[in-house]
Amino acid sequence: MLTAAKNQVRVCLLSIKYNIMREMVNKVTFLTNVCFMVLNDASILVQWFILFRLREDVGGYTLREIMLLWGLTAASFGLSRILFARVFSLSELIISGKLDSFLVQPKNVLLSVMTSSTNISAVGDLLYGVVLACACRPGVGGFLLFLLFTVTGTVVFTAFALLLGSLSFWLVRMDILQSQMTMGMISFGTYPDGIFEGISRFLLYFIIPVGMAVWLPLHVIVNFDVRTFFALIGYACLLSGAAVAVFYRGLRRYASGNLMEARL
Amino acid sequence: MRKYAVIYQSVLLENLQYAANVAIGFFTYFVFIFIFIKLWGYMYRTPEELIAGYTKEQMIWYVMMTEMLYFGSNANVVAGEVAGDIRGGNIAYRINRPYHYTLYILTKYTGEWSVRLPMYAAVAAVIGAVMVGPLPRFRLITLPVMALCVILGITINAVFKLCISLFSFWIEDTAPFQWLYNKLILVVGIMFPVEIFPKALQPLLKLTPIYTVCYGPAKLIVDFSPAKCLEIVAAQVVYLAVGCGLMVLIYRKGVRKLYVNGG
Amino acid sequence: MQVIRVEDLSKTFRVKKKEKGMTGSIKAILHPQTEKIQAVNGVSFTVEEGEMLAFIGPNGAGKSTTIKMLTGILYPDGGRVEVLGVDPTKKRKQLAYQIGTVFGQKEQLWTHLTPYDNFRFFGAIYDLSERETEARIEELSERFALGSFIDTPVRNLSLGQRIRCEIVASLIHKPKVLFLDEPTIGLDPVVKENIRSLIMQMNQEEHTTIFLTSHDVGDIEKLCRRIIIVNAGRIVLDDSVEHLKHHYPDKRAADTQAHEKAAENGDSLSISLEEIITEIYKSEERIAEK
Repeated sequence: MLTAAKNQVRVCLLSIKYNIMREMVNKVTFLTNVCFMVLNDASILVQWFILFRLREDVGGYTLREIMLLWGLTAASFGLSRILFARVFSLSELIISGKLDSFLVQPKNVLLSVMTSSTNISAVGDLLYGVVLACACRPGVGGFLLFLLFTVTGTVVFTAFALLLGSLSFWLVRMDILQSQMTMGMISFGTYPDGIFEGISRFLLYFIIPVGMAVWLPLHVIVNFDVRTFFALIGYACLLSGAAVAVFYRGLRRYASGNLMEARL
Repeated sequence: MRKYAVIYQSVLLENLQYAANVAIGFFTYFVFIFIFIKLWGYMYRTPEELIAGYTKEQMIWYVMMTEMLYFGSNANVVAGEVAGDIRGGNIAYRINRPYHYTLYILTKYTGEWSVRLPMYAAVAAVIGAVMVGPLPRFRLITLPVMALCVILGITINAVFKLCISLFSFWIEDTAPFQWLYNKLILVVGIMFPVEIFPKALQPLLKLTPIYTVCYGPAKLIVDFSPAKCLEIVAAQVVYLAVGCGLMVLIYRKGVRKLYVNGG
Repeated sequence: MQVIRVEDLSKTFRVKKKEKGMTGSIKAILHPQTEKIQAVNGVSFTVEEGEMLAFIGPNGAGKSTTIKMLTGILYPDGGRVEVLGVDPTKKRKQLAYQIGTVFGQKEQLWTHLTPYDNFRFFGAIYDLSERETEARIEELSERFALGSFIDTPVRNLSLGQRIRCEIVASLIHKPKVLFLDEPTIGLDPVVKENIRSLIMQMNQEEHTTIFLTSHDVGDIEKLCRRIIIVNAGRIVLDDSVEHLKHHYPDKRAADTQAHEKAAENGDSLSISLEEIITEIYKSEERIAEK
């Protein structure tokens, strides 16, 4: 059991390493991609400088808190796409029947699929996120919390994308919805939660889990609270559990072949 | 001219079949607009407040209109596709046909936005009516002029992007330059009207394509005045003439280089 | 020992029916109608250890569906499958350690890595230790003559070199059964010949059972002693290649004119395997039309 787990981890790490090596084959392209992503993210700061000229807070956030939020979203989304980029295009994989080659391997299907590609501009996101967080001088404790929540944020983003992607086992056209919903989630995650109220706020915490991925964690970094802290970690576990369950449910349907119409 | 009409017609018919795919993009549009509605809802402390001379409704409508222009035109035809044609060598087959390549591309582009833009306009109108409220100085009678201004803006944008793509005759990858141009439009032009920027920057911004591509049309829709209209359309005509001149010049030089060196 | 046992295997797909045009799309949403397609219909056969079997049929006959059920990718609706004493449906992972797959049209190698790195990756997938992997790579690279390009990234290799690497990658864990789906597709005759002799060698030296699908009759003729032809989900022929060649009723034998013509041109009139297979496919088509 233990050796099996060890071997599984070995394969996953090797897979991620090879993915990154592939992207690094062309160093110039790699560096341009990363740099442009950093510039891309940084250019949005213009928007915030303008908005903070108009009012001293936006949605109850100071400029420093906005920068921390941006850092957290960028780092989480970045890490998620460095390690598990394939999850974000899972729908395509399912629809075109490309899970077959993972199914003939004697390893965990989900983990093999998840780690089978990377998105290199995401390195820029991660880099920018961490640098931006450091620029906010959160202190050692704050920075450690930031790193921890980057990990839970990664888990929530990935699990949510996995959940949406897995719906492709049942529904058609999920590929477009998956990418739109995940991008939508990231867009919400770069604005303060204070501007949303009522139903939209509820939806953004419990249906599209932006609140659980970045907003609440940010509040905990700014104002530490033990109960929220553990609640967040619990939520990340719960959501990933649900996502994995749905994926395997769907995989049974895949194996029954009823998605095969396009391939006959 | 007739052949371009035929090209336009066939692209239009083809794109009409994919209308459903366009509709799926509404979600992203809606997310952006929704965020801006909430954002400006918070920024305006009282309903009567003016920020940079705009009421809350005008400010939101402004973003809705610029985003509509952005989403409603598929820039890939004039950007990625052209660069791909040139770098991939497809251009050799295209220039020997009895049409002008740049006009062919622009016609194709027009065929695409003819389907997308009205769809986004309809969505914008619905979102605006339901979630934002009417514009105070909007008159139906000025609609044709606004439409003209929008079409000019979209076309100028395409001409500029096409110019950048045409540099593919000389350089390997034009994508970074497209990106810079897009960023300029997106960060400075789409989110805020020019008036919101520091006074010192404003004259500079009015010289950039932003003024004719997104600020102009959006401003006319949210705050129409005959004087403003004349000024913007005049600027657009000048920009379009200069842009087209540049485009033809670059294209000729590029084709000559192609004939000398072979792809 | 029987390595593959298939009994009365069947698989039905439900396919959504949709009429053309916009109204068709709307109808399909409101009243989804499905149509059953019997992809595999009561197939039974067994394969002995070390056998080389050609499993062929026209496009859409149910070949890949059968292979998918044998490898655990698809679950059957009816019948029984046993590969190496294991039910693929229930113990897919366990089975995966003992079988190898090569899909000619689908690449499993990482194209930016060298074959050597690729093999190490596959070694890790099949839980081989570093030392086992190294030893196996050395052995196979010698046998498949990969020495000159084992450190060249796969994307820079020729198609023939690539497919050789694909096969080595699928042999890294000494599989007892090797599933080859169109292994020689798109290769030139010399490379095809080379691949065939390597497969033959594997079969002889490691006693690997080979389950081959191919549209290339050359593959079948050179490699397989036994042939199974499927059509419309059923087995229409299960025979040894030799027997088939000598006992297929040649219609032209009775045709004296053809005899004379052939004699004039100096041709022999013996019918080739390719012609036999074509004849069988055609007669199947005729039956289907009726």
